[in-house]
Amino acid sequence: MITASSLVKKFGDFAAVDGLNLQINKGECFGLLGPNGAGKSTFIGMTYGTVQRTGGDLKVFGYDPKTHYREIKRRMGVVTQENALDESLTVFENMIIYCAFIGVPKDERKKRVEELLEYMNLMHKKDMPIIALSGGMKRRLVFVRALLGKPELLILDEPTTGLDPAVRHLLWGKVKELHSQGTTIVLTTHYMHEAEVLCDRLVIMNKGVVAGHGSPKELIHQHAPGYVGIFSLDHQKQIHQIVETNKSYSLTEDTSGIYIRTNSLDELTALHTKNNLTPLQIRPSNLEDVFLKLTGQELSADA
Amino acid sequence: MRSEQTPQMRSEQINSMRESIVLFFHITLRNWTVYKKDFIANISPTIADPALILVSLGLGLGSYLTNVEGMSYMQFLAPGLTVATALFTSFFESSYGFYVRMSFENVFKAMLTTPIGVKEVVFGELIWVGLKGAIMAVGVAMVLALFGLMVNPWLIPALSIVGLLVAIPCGAMGLLATAWVRNINQFQTVYSFLIAPLYFLSGIFFPIEQMHPVVRGLANFFPLIHGVRIAQSMFWQKGILEALTINGGILVIQSVILSALAYSQIKKKLVN
Repeated sequence: MITASSLVKKFGDFAAVDGLNLQINKGECFGLLGPNGAGKSTFIGMTYGTVQRTGGDLKVFGYDPKTHYREIKRRMGVVTQENALDESLTVFENMIIYCAFIGVPKDERKKRVEELLEYMNLMHKKDMPIIALSGGMKRRLVFVRALLGKPELLILDEPTTGLDPAVRHLLWGKVKELHSQGTTIVLTTHYMHEAEVLCDRLVIMNKGVVAGHGSPKELIHQHAPGYVGIFSLDHQKQIHQIVETNKSYSLTEDTSGIYIRTNSLDELTALHTKNNLTPLQIRPSNLEDVFLKLTGQELSADA
Repeated sequence: MRSEQTPQMRSEQINSMRESIVLFFHITLRNWTVYKKDFIANISPTIADPALILVSLGLGLGSYLTNVEGMSYMQFLAPGLTVATALFTSFFESSYGFYVRMSFENVFKAMLTTPIGVKEVVFGELIWVGLKGAIMAVGVAMVLALFGLMVNPWLIPALSIVGLLVAIPCGAMGLLATAWVRNINQFQTVYSFLIAPLYFLSGIFFPIEQMHPVVRGLANFFPLIHGVRIAQSMFWQKGILEALTINGGILVIQSVILSALAYSQIKKKLVN
């Protein structure tokens, strides 16, 4: 559905996307993860023509977005990073005018808008001005807008940033539902848990290139298998001594604590039973560990 | 050398153009929906501003100026006011108005996810300001005709041509200003050094024939004076055809050049 090969976008001397290769298949929920400035939004912009690539190749639905952006945009819906709702119009007017922009036949517009407002629990705000909506409501409305054209491809550019957990879970539910109905979804996010919950497959981007790719499970297995124990910084000295003598421990530190990763749970609990160190927390490795490792934000002890 | 076009390419082009026209229509509809919400606020400058100028300058200053170009000052002043309205309505819409929608409300970011491209955004905006300019010019002319300042009130609808032909290039200037400024306050600079001088030195308030040739040359370089010439010909029913062909022609050329420039500059803002 989307194929990028050696894709490059430069802003002056700075390469925001620097030789990106990826393939997004029909029907999957595909995640793009990466720190701020990794090139996620630049890539998203390139798929529908608001960012023009400087090199490489990009095809969406088999079309080149440089020349056939209209054909592409007719079949895709975008939850933009900024809400970008038309504040001069009411909720209903906003959606009706977007129906017109994307070519929904005139006699279907009202019904389509009302169905989707209902779907996103916004029907009671139908005639309100945008300014009267809460942050979560605005976000839901942006989802409505993205879905008006019944898109085959739905792009979610940081869809839940800044939302409270209730709205986030509601939106996740909707995304899962759309996914199960066959909509292809491309998601960018900073929330690792969001990616783990929603994505079949994902790439972790760093500095404009793919730093790792696979399913959440594969990525964890490949890059950060095992378990993580988090210890208080009070035990810094003692832990350093232990790790130096035992190579199976991998260590990261930041101001929140000392992170020790091991392949087995036993090795972690041994720190407690043998060395009398009580961890603040013990958990299986997750995508966050992979992310930190691949984006070089881990002060890697085993590098 | 031009490469041969296949019939299929041609029909693709026609379809694309047809879709653009539909999108222009929808963009205009959006603007109209917003405009009519505050109709009284939006329409009041049309009537209030020219009436104020007419009373203060026309009656006040006019009592000292009994003969300007062989007519009363009121009669001299009237046509230019229709043009000034078209200038202000288009410039402010496409500068402040467009800038707010672009930079604060991000409206275009969402619009560009639909089949709308930069072309439709820019030319949709210009079509809208053109229409608004046409309606405003006719509105002002109606008010002025009530004061008995039009030789032939049947020519009121013809002022729509003036409004349209002035509003489009002035709207394009507003878009160029939007592309040029780095923050919203800088529009004040554009206003002070370009729009206000144009307003005062384009033959609205006094004939500029006796001004320095440099001033005249500069004034002729911009759209306003040509609109004033056509409006005057219509108000005074004198040399309409000549004004339409010469000044109208110049306005069309200025519209094409300024719109193309506006498109290329706004494109840089909306597409990276």
